[in-house]
Amino acid sequence: MMTSQTEDPIVRLYRESFPDFARLVRKRGGNLEQAKDCFHDALLIFMEKERTGKLQLNVSARAYLLGIARICWLRKAKRESFLPLAEGYEPAAPEDADEEGPERQLLDALIASGRKCLDLLQAFYYQGFSLDELASRFGFNGKRSAAVQKHKCLGKVREEIKTRHSYAH
Amino acid sequence: MRIELQETALIDRYLLRQLDEAAMREVEACMLASNAFAETVEAQRLAHRLIRFYGRRQERHRLGEIYRILHGEPGFARQIANIFA
Repeated sequence: MMTSQTEDPIVRLYRESFPDFARLVRKRGGNLEQAKDCFHDALLIFMEKERTGKLQLNVSARAYLLGIARICWLRKAKRESFLPLAEGYEPAAPEDADEEGPERQLLDALIASGRKCLDLLQAFYYQGFSLDELASRFGFNGKRSAAVQKHKCLGKVREEIKTRHSYAH
Repeated sequence: MRIELQETALIDRYLLRQLDEAAMREVEACMLASNAFAETVEAQRLAHRLIRFYGRRQERHRLGEIYRILHGEPGFARQIANIFA
């Protein structure tokens, strides 16, 4: 087992939390794939909140994560009807929007036409990299170049969206 | 090209709510005055959404990798196998 102090905290959280959640899912008739799906959704929410400074923990990270995973599971169970819920029970929805059909197609097309720009844009807008970090990660000559490249990429993606949308209508 | 970059940057600041109140109103007025500009703003808003989806896809992939690595640890793998036995 890898337990060094440099281990990614998410790996440690995964190792310490997933078996308990898997046990809960199994007890309620679910399978391993369903447990993994919900657990990954919960971890995504956890990581996004942490990254954007919106994570306010009154309990341990593990307890918090298991709480979100449980809500994800109840929500999924209700949607897919593999678990009967008490009448009038409306589980809270996690703040995680799923990709919808047309948007998934559009994203697939954007990936096919230029993954490098999307990698750069997601590093800045989703991962929250600074311009300096962007420059060093993607090999730009300073943060000014990174900013210009970021806007060029965003403009390129935007124009592609406009073109594809006008073809779609 | 420079004007295009400036427009992209301005719309970005509008979408991320980084403009002051007066500048926000100014962008909204431009959107009302020009369908083409309004369309550009909407496309950039959708671009932000798709970038977020792309980021999530990447993270999901990473989490799948973490599971695969943990599954290589005998203790973890045995625990999971016992749960779903």
